[in-house]
Amino acid sequence: MLIENMLMAFSAIRANKMRSFLTMLGIIIGIGSVISIVSIGDTMRSMFEELYRKIGITQAYIAINYWVDDVRQSDYFTLDEMERIKEIFGDEIAYIDSDAMTSADAVCARTTVKFNYTGIDYNYQEVQPVNLVYGRYLNEGDILGRRKNVVMDTNSAMNLFGVENAVGKTFRTTIYGSVDEYTVVGVYRKDLNPFQAMMLGANTEGGEAFIPYTILTWPNDYFYDIRIFARDEATMDAFFDNLKNYVAKSKGRTPEEFRLITAKAQMGEWDNMMGGLATAVGGIAAISLLVGGIGIMNIMLVSVTERTREIGVRKSLGARTRDIMVQFLTESAILSACGGILGILLGAGIVMLGGRLLGVQAIVKPGVVILAVGFSAMVGIFFGIYPASKAAKKDPIEALRYE
Amino acid sequence: MKLLNRKKPEPKLPDYITENVSEELIRLEDLVKIYDTGALKVLGLKRINLTIHRGEFVAIMGQSGSGKSTLMNILGCLDRPSMGHYYLDGVDVAAMNPDELSLIRNRKIGFVFQSFNLISRTSALKNVELPMTYARKGKRFREQRARILLERVGLGKRAEHMPNELSGGQRQRVAIARALANEPPLLLADEPTGNLDTAASVEIMELFSQLHKEGTTVVVVTHEEEIAAFTERIIRFRDGEIVSDSSNVRKEPESCGTGSETEKQEATNATETEEQGWESAGEPREYEADRNMKEREKLC
Repeated sequence: MLIENMLMAFSAIRANKMRSFLTMLGIIIGIGSVISIVSIGDTMRSMFEELYRKIGITQAYIAINYWVDDVRQSDYFTLDEMERIKEIFGDEIAYIDSDAMTSADAVCARTTVKFNYTGIDYNYQEVQPVNLVYGRYLNEGDILGRRKNVVMDTNSAMNLFGVENAVGKTFRTTIYGSVDEYTVVGVYRKDLNPFQAMMLGANTEGGEAFIPYTILTWPNDYFYDIRIFARDEATMDAFFDNLKNYVAKSKGRTPEEFRLITAKAQMGEWDNMMGGLATAVGGIAAISLLVGGIGIMNIMLVSVTERTREIGVRKSLGARTRDIMVQFLTESAILSACGGILGILLGAGIVMLGGRLLGVQAIVKPGVVILAVGFSAMVGIFFGIYPASKAAKKDPIEALRYE
Repeated sequence: MKLLNRKKPEPKLPDYITENVSEELIRLEDLVKIYDTGALKVLGLKRINLTIHRGEFVAIMGQSGSGKSTLMNILGCLDRPSMGHYYLDGVDVAAMNPDELSLIRNRKIGFVFQSFNLISRTSALKNVELPMTYARKGKRFREQRARILLERVGLGKRAEHMPNELSGGQRQRVAIARALANEPPLLLADEPTGNLDTAASVEIMELFSQLHKEGTTVVVVTHEEEIAAFTERIIRFRDGEIVSDSSNVRKEPESCGTGSETEKQEATNATETEEQGWESAGEPREYEADRNMKEREKLC
């Protein structure tokens, strides 16, 4: 009986192709926009997750909280303290440094390029792997010997030297007031998609390079924060808390007076924001589904009136109230579900195409698709109830007499 | 596997469907139909008493407004009487609810309409299957039986045709096949030839005669004498009352124009019901004679 009803519904839909399509259009647009917005949201979230994985999801910073008024010198960090932390939490720390960075003009022959320098330890590449294409990474000797060696990316090398393979080339730069000659020991290639490049603020004209942190941080320096990479993502939250408590205690502060910024929490914020945004905009798009549903109700009412005689005939042949009701409900549900499927194709198509153009992997979750089809069928059934019951309640004699 | 092979049980039917007992297929007792139009009440049928036995071939005649359509609707269980009883196959259907009436219509009555009323954009086969669909019959059974029925009405080769690809006569034959789908004891035809030309009309009436011979009870509502002439009993209506109820000698088409008119005239006179007064008995005869003339012209 259900199959019969579905076949009947399809033949009724086929009989009025244009009208059916126009009716579906409301649902197509509604579902299409919901799908594309939710998918864009999902894609953005996955892009942010990927981004944070790229910059290190196990990464965290600890520093004195910004609202603390009476900041003392002891609230800053020293290399000795960092060493102590390394000893105590050695099992859980994958990497730690003084989060040192500076920027200065790099000069090679007649080319001057503004460079950002990040001070790193030799094992930084264990937590932040790079695709080294020429030369070598900074090694322990570079760090301990405060050698003026740098590792830069291919873009920066191109900007400064005009070639990618800049290994062995030198340039002059001024760091902390001292002008020195630095040597490129390694060049790596950044693999960033356009979105990551945008978010990480990759400047195409400037340059960036890794230098030994020992050049930027001297033993008697006080620095504002420490940067840590946890070894284990699963237990890192507890570890970071322990670390913060330890730091606060060692400095005679309450744990609240120290600030812990984790990449994961930051990512969570983005995630929440994107999720909230997608829900809000999706909700607005869902209103168009409502409009589509009303369109379906309208056209079903027309259809019921047009087919009054058919209803009379069916009743005279023994169709019960329920049979007529189910027939029209099936029709409106199928009309709506077809619109839903077309809407999914439209929405997913737009998202996929957009993703292709922007060079990112678009995500259309199957759950969303199932939900959308189900929801559109529900819309069809809900808005079909009134016309169907109107059809089912028709008096057979009146209906048979209808011209 | 078991699930796939599971056969759907036929739905349990109430006793009034499964037990067909009565030799009197239709019995109307003091049947009254009042149309309440708000301002005034119109008496559609005035205390009708009528019995139709199994296997009869009956014509119900009368002009528009005579109450024949009202009676037709009630006989067809499309409408319910205001008062009185209607026993169909021994069961009083006067007080049944709409869904029970649907079941009765589905199993006990086959409708044939003036305007064929086939479902458009639906093949002849599917149209014939429809009452069986509502009777929850299996797909294979439906199709087989629908083909047999179409074969029986001479449209075996047109099973897949859409109604708009068929001529009027063919459409009406599909409608008859559809009416026979659930083997109903009663075939109700409401002006079945009203939209057909003479040749097709004769064809359709021949088909009804054939079905009647095979044992189906056929009730035809018509205002055309030449159609009524095919039946064996003619009940005439005027102003919501039966004015005559007479047996009719079946006019064979071959004997057209060989004095069948007078024969029939006599038969009508002889069996005129006794309760009828002269004022109602006189007029139809004149009317009938007039119509018989036209009928001869038409058929011959």
